[in-house]
Amino acid sequence: MDGLRDALGSSDPLPPVPAMPPIPAPPERVYSPRPEKSAFAAEAARHTTALVGIGHVGTRYATNVVLQFQAELAVAHAAVGAELPDGWAEDNGFVGVRSRVTSHREFLLRPDLGRRLDDESLQKIRNSCEKGIDVQVIVADGLSAVACMENGKPLHDAVVGACAARGLRTGTPIAARFARVWLEDEIGQEVGAKVAMILLGERPGLGTGDGLSAYVVHGPKLGNTDGDRNMISNIHLRGIPPDDAAARLAALAAAMIEQRCSGVTLDLGRLGEVAGGRGYRAPQVRQKLVGECS
Amino acid sequence: MLVILERIVPTVLSVRRLQNADPALIRAYGGDPDRHTSLGLVTCDQDDAMYVALDEATKHATVDVIFAKSFYAGAAHASGRLSGEILGVIGATEPEAIDQALEALLRCLEHDACFYDADGKRTVTVFPHVITSLGEYLSREAKLAPGTPMAYLVAPPIEATIGLDAALKAADVTVVRVQTPPTETNFACAWLTGDLDACEAAAVAYAAAVVDVAATPRR
Repeated sequence: MDGLRDALGSSDPLPPVPAMPPIPAPPERVYSPRPEKSAFAAEAARHTTALVGIGHVGTRYATNVVLQFQAELAVAHAAVGAELPDGWAEDNGFVGVRSRVTSHREFLLRPDLGRRLDDESLQKIRNSCEKGIDVQVIVADGLSAVACMENGKPLHDAVVGACAARGLRTGTPIAARFARVWLEDEIGQEVGAKVAMILLGERPGLGTGDGLSAYVVHGPKLGNTDGDRNMISNIHLRGIPPDDAAARLAALAAAMIEQRCSGVTLDLGRLGEVAGGRGYRAPQVRQKLVGECS
Repeated sequence: MLVILERIVPTVLSVRRLQNADPALIRAYGGDPDRHTSLGLVTCDQDDAMYVALDEATKHATVDVIFAKSFYAGAAHASGRLSGEILGVIGATEPEAIDQALEALLRCLEHDACFYDADGKRTVTVFPHVITSLGEYLSREAKLAPGTPMAYLVAPPIEATIGLDAALKAADVTVVRVQTPPTETNFACAWLTGDLDACEAAAVAYAAAVVDVAATPRR
């Protein structure tokens, strides 16, 4: 029956493809509201790295917007996957310590292990670090080793300088690997610092794999909570520049020592403009990762 | 483009087993109460596919087809949701034999015997089936030796008439039985025998003639 079916024409070649109708050109990229008519939209887009004022082509994003988004996501992925190389701390003049985490994967999956020092590091701090100081500054990889390697050393030096200018004594520089924020409690407790300050790579966002955050706590000890901490985020060249951040951090540390507290109980109103209070804040600038396509 | 001679797979509407059937029932349906104590009952929406499948079942188990009758006017005018076009009843002494036979019967209905669409719209259908080797049931009906090849050809009345002429002229086959319309389902049926190649050639010629009549009803 198959042979008869073929003979009767069921297996004839397909009819020729009909001529394509003319395809209309894609619509112009439009902004809504149009920036030339809305000064507010244009100004808003300049003051944030959020996807504001990107326009649209028909029902879709413009090509360069999509490419920029994908490039920024790739930057974030690369930052999450990066690791601090062995010997980085010693090469840059830090005392190198590490948490109880043994591998990068474990670091991502076990935040609790990243909050405690391993035994070897604990001994190293007890043996070789200065005790009874005002401020202990710690540089750490956190969630972005890329940020730590790019900005960690300059920010650390700027903070130490700013503290020295205020007459605060900083201890031995420490660099921690596989560190979470709460690691500063154990280190600060061991060296007997009044204030512990950890500068670590923050969770990468779109296009910001190089951002550092600083967490400052008065009276570091195991058991402190996030309510006891003050923090400054977005420390990178497109956000808060490291020099500005260093001045604010030193002011913050000085205020903590003066008020003998930190976190929610600290009166930030007495810090003035230097701590980044409610004054003018320079807009963040979006980094162009791809060229203009439209 | 017209797609013709696509398979129309029969739908099995019910399959039931009846063990220790009452002797009066067995007798009424044409069985022997001593030998046919276990029954298997099947309804289906294609009567001729079912006759072929019942014959196939007798090749796989020691069962007898004790009852197989088409219903008047066919599956499109069935008396109920499960009636279809035919009720087939097989009988055996052992329930296991019924199970084996039903398995072969359902396999045949699913993969082998079926009507074909002759005009692309399923308004004309044709059953150009070749049984390569007759089983016990149809060989008895056809009065041929078991194992003989037979072409089992069914189509609506005028298509069947012209198709039978074409089949007889196309190959070296002889007529076993011709059922002229009207039958229960108002199709017409022809059984032809010869060697296997001749039966297949006859079935193809029959199907081609049916397709031709369906395409050009007036000439």
